[in-house]
Amino acid sequence: MTRTKTLRGAVVVVAATALAACSSSSGGTSTSGGSPTSGGSLVMARADEATSLLPSVPTDNASIWIIEELYDTLTTPAQDGKGVTPSLATSWKQSADKLSWTFHMRTDAKFTNGQPVTSADVVFSIKQNQKADAPFSFIDSVVTKMDTPDAHTVVFHTKEPWAPLPADMALYANSIVPKNYAGMSASAFASSPIGSGPFKFKNWTKGSSLTIVKNAKYWKKGTPRLDSVEFTVVPDSNTRSTQLASGQIGINEYPANSSIKSLQNQPNISVNTFPSSEVDYLGMNTRRKPLSDLNVRKAISQAIDKDAILKAVLYGYGKVANAYLSPTTWAHDSSLKANTYDVAAAKATLAKSSVPHGFSTTITIPSGDQNSSSEAQLVQSDLAKIGINVTIKTLDPAALVTAKHAGNFDMAFGLYTTDIVDPDEIARFAGTYDGGVQTLYSGFKSAQMDKLAATASRASDQSTRKAAYDQMQQIMANNVPYVTLFYVPGVYSYSKKVHGFQPGATGNYFLEKVWMSK
Amino acid sequence: MLRWFARRLLLAVPVVLGVVTISFILMHLAPGDPARSALGEKADPAAVAALRHQWGLDKTLPAQYVSYLNQLLHGDLGTSLYYHTSITTLMAQRLPVTLALIVMSAVLASLISIPLASRSASRPNGATSFVIRLFNAVIQGSPTFFVGSMLILFLGVRVAIFPAGGYPSGFGARAWALVLPALTIALSIVPLLVRGLRAAMIESLGSEYVAFARSKGLPESPIRHRYVLRNAGISGVSILGIQVGALASGALVIEQVFAIPGMGSMLMTGILNRDYAVVQACTLMFGLVVVVVYLVTDLVYARLDPRARLS
Repeated sequence: MTRTKTLRGAVVVVAATALAACSSSSGGTSTSGGSPTSGGSLVMARADEATSLLPSVPTDNASIWIIEELYDTLTTPAQDGKGVTPSLATSWKQSADKLSWTFHMRTDAKFTNGQPVTSADVVFSIKQNQKADAPFSFIDSVVTKMDTPDAHTVVFHTKEPWAPLPADMALYANSIVPKNYAGMSASAFASSPIGSGPFKFKNWTKGSSLTIVKNAKYWKKGTPRLDSVEFTVVPDSNTRSTQLASGQIGINEYPANSSIKSLQNQPNISVNTFPSSEVDYLGMNTRRKPLSDLNVRKAISQAIDKDAILKAVLYGYGKVANAYLSPTTWAHDSSLKANTYDVAAAKATLAKSSVPHGFSTTITIPSGDQNSSSEAQLVQSDLAKIGINVTIKTLDPAALVTAKHAGNFDMAFGLYTTDIVDPDEIARFAGTYDGGVQTLYSGFKSAQMDKLAATASRASDQSTRKAAYDQMQQIMANNVPYVTLFYVPGVYSYSKKVHGFQPGATGNYFLEKVWMSK
Repeated sequence: MLRWFARRLLLAVPVVLGVVTISFILMHLAPGDPARSALGEKADPAAVAALRHQWGLDKTLPAQYVSYLNQLLHGDLGTSLYYHTSITTLMAQRLPVTLALIVMSAVLASLISIPLASRSASRPNGATSFVIRLFNAVIQGSPTFFVGSMLILFLGVRVAIFPAGGYPSGFGARAWALVLPALTIALSIVPLLVRGLRAAMIESLGSEYVAFARSKGLPESPIRHRYVLRNAGISGVSILGIQVGALASGALVIEQVFAIPGMGSMLMTGILNRDYAVVQACTLMFGLVVVVVYLVTDLVYARLDPRARLS
């Protein structure tokens, strides 16, 4: 999934702090609110607008997180991101030859048009996501054939033994839609979508708001509690904060980090962070000299004071990263020995390299991104201490993406998140050359990484998988194709009337659990 | 008059064509790939190539330009690559909002500027005039997003007369929601208007026809309204007309701050995602708005000043 940094609101960060500072203080972030009640309309203000509600089309979080409320998937990511829980499927099992998975589905699930959810709908839905121009077709490319022995059983045949399949089935792009889009064309269906999820689509005024209402016939009895949820588009983070203060909205997605402290002081507002799989990194182009030299990359990673950047730029909201797999996955290796901040060691490492006396290089950042700009300046001054002279270049965000794909950069910041709760997707995307974008544009290639990724996805036993992932994390730490900087949480501020709001590690809102007090 | 109008319309054609061509060339020459934007970083290169082909982005630039012009001539603005919707539909929702915002700002700017300028002109060196000039300087020195945020804070949260941004449903509620953003944009051109009007009024107050009117024994108030304001208004109208471009670009920023779903936010998303057709359509619309306003300005100018003949 893509996550747009709040580029547009960047200019008003200063104003946000000034405004928020005007507010009165007291209170905290307690979320107790008595026993859950039904009813209420929630308004959530978000920076970006959804682009499409057709599960196989979008890649932006604004769309994804609404799709997850409208449709069901066979499995659902667990809140902590460490596995999947039953949803439309009640149980699943890999065959003895490991080349197929059988999913048994619940029989009481219905689409909002009254049609029961059957295995034929599953086959149709997965096929949509396997189409050539679907962004997440690569997730389902391992599925060679699907069988439907009965109306509520699906068998997925896979190219090779594939442990991540249950997690793949929790991906939003694999949401279950009615077969043949219930007789509609894809575009007609996109404008009046039908799912079997906790909420159903009501209306969408492009550019302004999208409303979903309670699906009273949802199979999970007693949920959802809210009558409706309206997602409004408010690009400016400062305006979102003031709307929350004035009671106009219930939840503000992504308050500016700089404003969090003063938000916490407001009596009727809670601010919470939720573990997310986001990892921020400083990418290096290992195809270019002298970044092709391992000692140079190692020296850079030892010279960067991540703690200082975390405090100054992210206001402490995050954790300094080492292993490239985030702590939200079970495969994360917390005992990994990574290159820690040590200027003397960095100088010593650089002395052993091809450029013992330093060199000149560049960091390219997207224009309008205040955080990247501050981070780049701090890295610039850190690297100057070991004799590396960094020039900061600015490029339009879309142009920067193209430059990265073309290998036209020295160093550049980036971030990655996982879309499925199994470590497979992100271990490949951020660790292998062919698993995504040439190891996060670095050009780093390792046959051993490819082999380990394959071992991990073929093995069904957890300890074998974990051993392979541990090794992958160590190889990345040894070769430093990019410097992992921070594990970044999701941040939300919301009215104290909103209870039970706890997004999962892959970002799912789980709005069926949310309720509002009067 | 009719011939003048026809000639002006004819002259507008190359202007609009120029806007269309330049925005097309600039957009397509800028690096960045809409297919990659739409599919995200993780999509297979094959999926990206398939989408580029589907959108016709693998054709040569001149071929794309010709098919774009052909489309425009048929009144089709194309399809948004990002929102997967026809731009005509998007435009029908967004354009009226931005137009309403621009018109409201122009009206508010006039309502604020005229009394301030005439007050200031009546005693150019008095205390009130000083305060007005100070107000002008402060407003001109404050960026619009800051003024907007402050207005939201005080009139949207503290006093809570207006909504703190957003665009509710219902005509009345919407008009009300547009007041603060329109005021913010209006304030950005008020200093220019006040200064221009004030100078013109001072000049007019010292002119012979005013002296004549006074010597005829006419009271001050009709002199001001009938002679001074009307003559000074001519310069006001031309300043306002020229500033419409500024109002439009002000709307672009302010729509973001106030979460108003107009063309500004659409253009911004379009640029960030290389949604070519959206950016071109928005540029075309802004271009048309400016051309039309210039035309109207000339008409009004001629109405106010008989010396400016329409021939």
